[in-house]
Amino acid sequence: MTAAVPPTDNLPRESQDVPELKVDDTPDFKVINKSTIITRRFFRNKAAAFGLIVFILVGLFGLFGGLLAQWDTNTIDPFYMATGPSAAHWFGTTSAGTDLYAQAVEGVRTSMAIGLIVGGLSVIISAVYGCIMAYFGGKLDNVMLFFLETLMMAPQLLVIAIVINGAGGQKIREVLPGWVILTIVLLIFSWMYDARVIRSMAMSLIQRDYVKAARYMGVSPFKIVWRHLVPNIGSLLVLNFTRGITLAILSEVAYTFVGIGVKYPNYSLGSLIAQASSQINTLPWMFWIPMILFFLLVGPLSLMNDGLRDAFDPTSLSVGKAKKDKKEKAK
Amino acid sequence: MSANPVLSVKDLNVSFNTENGVVHAVRGINFDLHAGKTLGIVGESGSGKSVASMAIMGLHPTTADITGSIQYKGKELLGLSDKEMCEHRGKDIAMIFQDPLSSLTPVYTIGDQIGEVLKVHNKGMSKQAIKDRSVELMRLVGIPDPANRLKSFPHEFSGGMRQRVMIAMAIANDPAVLIADEPTTALDVTIQAQVLEVMEKAQEETGAGIIMITHDLGVVAGMADDIMVMYAGKPVEIARAEDIYTRPAHPYTIGLLGAVPRVDRADKVSLVPIDGTPPNLLNEVHGCSFRPRCPIAKSGGQCCKDVAEEPALRLIEGAGEGHYAAADIAEQLVDARPEDLYPVPEVPESKYDSIPREERPTVLEVKNLKKHFPLLKGALVKRRVGTVKAVNGVSFDIREGECFSIVGESGCGKTTTLLEIMEFNKETDGDILVNGSSVHDGLKGSELLKMRKNQQMVFQDPTGALDPRFTVYEVLAEPLENQGWKKKDIQKRVIELMRTVGLQPDHVNRFPNQFSGGQRQRIGIARALAVNPKLVALDEPVSALDVSVQAGVINLLEKLRADLGLSYLMVAHDLAVVRHASDRVAVMYLGRVVEIGHVDQVFDNPIHPYTRALLSAIPVPDPEVEASRERIILEGDLPTPLNAPDGCPFSTRCPIFKLLPEEKQKVCTSEHPAMSREGNLDHEYACYFPNEEVAIVSATNPEAVVGVSQDETPWGDSALAADSTVADSSAAGEGSIRA
Amino acid sequence: MFKYILKRALTYVVMIFLVTSAGYFLAVQTMNPALLEQEKIPRPTPEQIQANFASLKLDPQMSAWERYVQWLKDILFHFDWGRSPNGAYINSEFGQRVWVSTRLFAAAIILSLIIGVALGVFSAARQYKASDRIITGYSYLVYIIPAPIAYFLVQLGAVAINQAAGDRIFFVTGISSPGVEPGWPTIVDMAAHYLVPTFCITIMSWGGYQIAQRQYLLDSVNADFVRTARAKGLTRNQAITRHALRVSFIPVAQSIAFTVPAIFTGGFFAEAIFAWPGIGLWSLQAIGAQDVNAATATLAYGSVLFAVSAILADIATTIVDPRVRMN
Repeated sequence: MTAAVPPTDNLPRESQDVPELKVDDTPDFKVINKSTIITRRFFRNKAAAFGLIVFILVGLFGLFGGLLAQWDTNTIDPFYMATGPSAAHWFGTTSAGTDLYAQAVEGVRTSMAIGLIVGGLSVIISAVYGCIMAYFGGKLDNVMLFFLETLMMAPQLLVIAIVINGAGGQKIREVLPGWVILTIVLLIFSWMYDARVIRSMAMSLIQRDYVKAARYMGVSPFKIVWRHLVPNIGSLLVLNFTRGITLAILSEVAYTFVGIGVKYPNYSLGSLIAQASSQINTLPWMFWIPMILFFLLVGPLSLMNDGLRDAFDPTSLSVGKAKKDKKEKAK
Repeated sequence: MSANPVLSVKDLNVSFNTENGVVHAVRGINFDLHAGKTLGIVGESGSGKSVASMAIMGLHPTTADITGSIQYKGKELLGLSDKEMCEHRGKDIAMIFQDPLSSLTPVYTIGDQIGEVLKVHNKGMSKQAIKDRSVELMRLVGIPDPANRLKSFPHEFSGGMRQRVMIAMAIANDPAVLIADEPTTALDVTIQAQVLEVMEKAQEETGAGIIMITHDLGVVAGMADDIMVMYAGKPVEIARAEDIYTRPAHPYTIGLLGAVPRVDRADKVSLVPIDGTPPNLLNEVHGCSFRPRCPIAKSGGQCCKDVAEEPALRLIEGAGEGHYAAADIAEQLVDARPEDLYPVPEVPESKYDSIPREERPTVLEVKNLKKHFPLLKGALVKRRVGTVKAVNGVSFDIREGECFSIVGESGCGKTTTLLEIMEFNKETDGDILVNGSSVHDGLKGSELLKMRKNQQMVFQDPTGALDPRFTVYEVLAEPLENQGWKKKDIQKRVIELMRTVGLQPDHVNRFPNQFSGGQRQRIGIARALAVNPKLVALDEPVSALDVSVQAGVINLLEKLRADLGLSYLMVAHDLAVVRHASDRVAVMYLGRVVEIGHVDQVFDNPIHPYTRALLSAIPVPDPEVEASRERIILEGDLPTPLNAPDGCPFSTRCPIFKLLPEEKQKVCTSEHPAMSREGNLDHEYACYFPNEEVAIVSATNPEAVVGVSQDETPWGDSALAADSTVADSSAAGEGSIRA
Repeated sequence: MFKYILKRALTYVVMIFLVTSAGYFLAVQTMNPALLEQEKIPRPTPEQIQANFASLKLDPQMSAWERYVQWLKDILFHFDWGRSPNGAYINSEFGQRVWVSTRLFAAAIILSLIIGVALGVFSAARQYKASDRIITGYSYLVYIIPAPIAYFLVQLGAVAINQAAGDRIFFVTGISSPGVEPGWPTIVDMAAHYLVPTFCITIMSWGGYQIAQRQYLLDSVNADFVRTARAKGLTRNQAITRHALRVSFIPVAQSIAFTVPAIFTGGFFAEAIFAWPGIGLWSLQAIGAQDVNAATATLAYGSVLFAVSAILADIATTIVDPRVRMN
């Protein structure tokens, strides 16, 4: 806590006698736009801003990189088999002669989609689940906590292996591509730790005097949750979101690498790394290019974490700086 | 005074490097402390008093810049390494900290922790010797059953007991200097009285010089020989204790004395508010640090001769021996009263003052309110193992325009009572009527909203009461929006509210963390007033504020009550504030009201032994009164309201009960005493034998009854009597009722 | 206190039961070993397959519920976890491997806890110095490296060292060398085989403990009770080691339970990468072979590991924190 921030000198002085103001002098009611402040504070952290830019660029690569590709993922180029990066194949080719660039574009897209879906949905699930536990408490809380711990106990890896490998699953696979099934299982196991934290945080928030004050005013419970609880756990949710994306991408790569994740004909960063692992000494680009793309995806997310934490923290020192900057500009 | 002080501090300066720049927390302190004497250091938060004490102990991080000289018996301490300083810490100089809850290591036993201080300084002391000495120390500070309690962990002790352990550790090696930093601030008044007595005993035993650091001018009044008043990192006045209270010479000291309400005074005058906030020590101080708040400077007068120079401490003639003050016209101020210096708002007059109480409409009525919590155990199947009777049959009413207060120590149920009223839950046991509508009417929707409009609340902690993510405008608009006001009207009302509570209307776009504590509390008050309530519940409204700010908020509350015709239900542990601000008062103990009535009646003529003990425990900022008072020290800690006894709940600690013959004791323990009325006055109490002898127990030796007292007023001989009419009528009613 | 642990244990038994049962249903629903049988040469007739599976109590024509009841009865009354499609007994297959894996996991948990806590204390004491930045930076870096890829790279590194040295310094696959004499040489051989996988799991797992221990210790270094200890005459370092350290370990001890699933997963990855004949590799192969009973047995094993470590964490917390002992 940055309670140690000393009162700045431009603090309004306490005054006993009320300043004489005419009734019609409407003061400046321009409510400071919070999202502007948050954006400003975020971009003040250079590393975070850099991270965001890299993340967006990699994202654009995944989405639109395909437009630049001269080859698709499966077509074999018999003249370029197992060749390094060249003008014809920017990222080189596999031992079978397929184009790594096209595969990398799809791989990045798949991994990013898994990350964003799992990260985003698990934030929502954990927030709703945690808040419900905290708000209602009692028996419901006990039952929900039991369920949560049971899920925690179940070895995620084995469940994924069962679902992905199960031949019966092929029925499902006709409807859903493999990476979607992986996404669903990752999602099921992604939210429990965050939900526990949100539960204890919401529990302490409910005890706060300002929530009591709103209750005694007769403000409806829904409004209290929306206006007082959600914004106050908001910064945690944003952090959970970026962390969730990282973890999901990481899990995808790890599981796929040992053969229980994304499978042909889908490509993900994990499957690209896995297919190259036996040829790392002979065709190193096949291994290192997807590895670099992977780090370009998760590295920026860690860089952004710090900036986001600062931007959303109301007691952050950056508040004062933002104000000062504004004032100096006004002068 | 002996020639050689045990501790001599010369020109002590402490500054810290922070992210925002250098903070000069202490800017030049000089004093000598002699053996067996007590120096009180008084100041508000941020005045540098604690920083100075930590510097003497050598407990600041190495990054702190400390200059000057600190000599212990002639040996320079400043500049010693951490290891060299360890030779002195805990042996020659010991310290008692403010918060006994966090100052003991939770994972070690009390015995380990007391033993540690002995072991560190007495190499080769045998295990048995350490144990014997520990037991001796525990006995000295009045912990019952010391040998067994050594095996207990801190969490098994109450706050008061932990502070006794802290004292035991501090005096273990007979230190020559004992520093106590707000040793009783975290404790209840009756426990505070016990701990202060233990400290006096400890001083007698060790002959130590004590430095007593506090914000409370009352606590040091009875103990200190000399007092140093600090402001903005510098002492502004040093004098013998009695001179500080009777002949203060610095405007700040004068203001502080005027800002504190007195529990022993019935006359109604407004408190002296010291406007403004202390300077930010990040910036260099130019000229007198107090000038922005100084009433003389404000009214255009000249206090400091040289405006650019900071006035130095100098000897003041004709104001007692060794009286120093840092004010250029100090001599002229010696006889000034606070009211002469400071603009004191007039006592606000309410239109209700002239209407007799009975004729005013009832705003709130509470009938036999009960709140019992089941104490459950078991994981799958919960068993009820007991009942916590937090509130156990409380009844009172509040009329229009009056302030009713509930007092009592922590755990007595006062806050629970207040929250039950605010919750307005239809499952309430007993009845609560606000403006005639009962909790059991089952109000819903708009009717409930209308009823809620009439009762609003101000919270203890001004920071926690405001959502950190709301601007002040949003904070104040919330109740209005909830009542369905239009946006345009809300804007107007918000500006109006800001002015009403003395804040600048153009600050509405700021966030709460940009305001000082006092201002935040004003925002909290403004929010409570937003929808024009009839009743405002005040939960310890000033206890989190500094003394000088506190006065301003109390004055504001009084003014609002008079101007707007509000009724207050206040809960407070500070009886001086209660006496100052309220019309009627109820004293609670373990969930029950033990005494209730007009505030002057209850405070000047307390009947219930608990009320008497409570009042006698409060230190008064007046050494003369302190010297002549006899304290009724209560035995032990406040029991928990778990399975409270059927009879009088106070009997376990009652100083009357202790001396009663057995048959009378049986009366006390058999049934809870009903309320009896004192004469036909507005004064009721719940006690069978209020007129019997009172045992005076020693805090350090609870088994021994050291005296018997039947003192009638809690303020000793020099106490100021209440206004004559009250005194007369109470005398008239006395004989007939107390049988 | 004992009662409290017992109660927790009972809750965990219920949880294990639920996890295992749910896992069984999931496996039965998704896995169909019959499809694999049809790829055999010579191809068996459907009748043969049916008869074979029925004798193994894997009858695909029975409803999931009937198979569940049959399976559960065998476990409850005979502690028989069933058979694989190839006829092997789960109990014996499992029994051969369980200690190989458990030893590996236990060694990794204990090592990462000790190293993590020690480094956490070390880096907290040197806050913001180069050594702190390197150690803490490493812990954050590990967080974004997929474990199996890290193991794979370590394996490559070990192989490279072996090649450079022209000798087998590190064993990067399997658990034992063939033809080693029993007795002391076997033990040495086994330890050598354990070295690389244990090292891998450990270096990927201590980061969490290190960050937590560092943070909690820094939080309590400035606690009031440390100040009290210094006021008694202890030096700053004495006060921290005697008072702050133990208090800061309490939340770390509580977190042990929740780090076990990660180490479990890491262990499975390690077995897959290092061809380590433990539960992990076996179960992944078994799942590939549509082996319902093997999959469920491993699920049960995983949840038991979690429960045991959660109870150990409870006990550890009780030992360091007297406040818990009361309840």
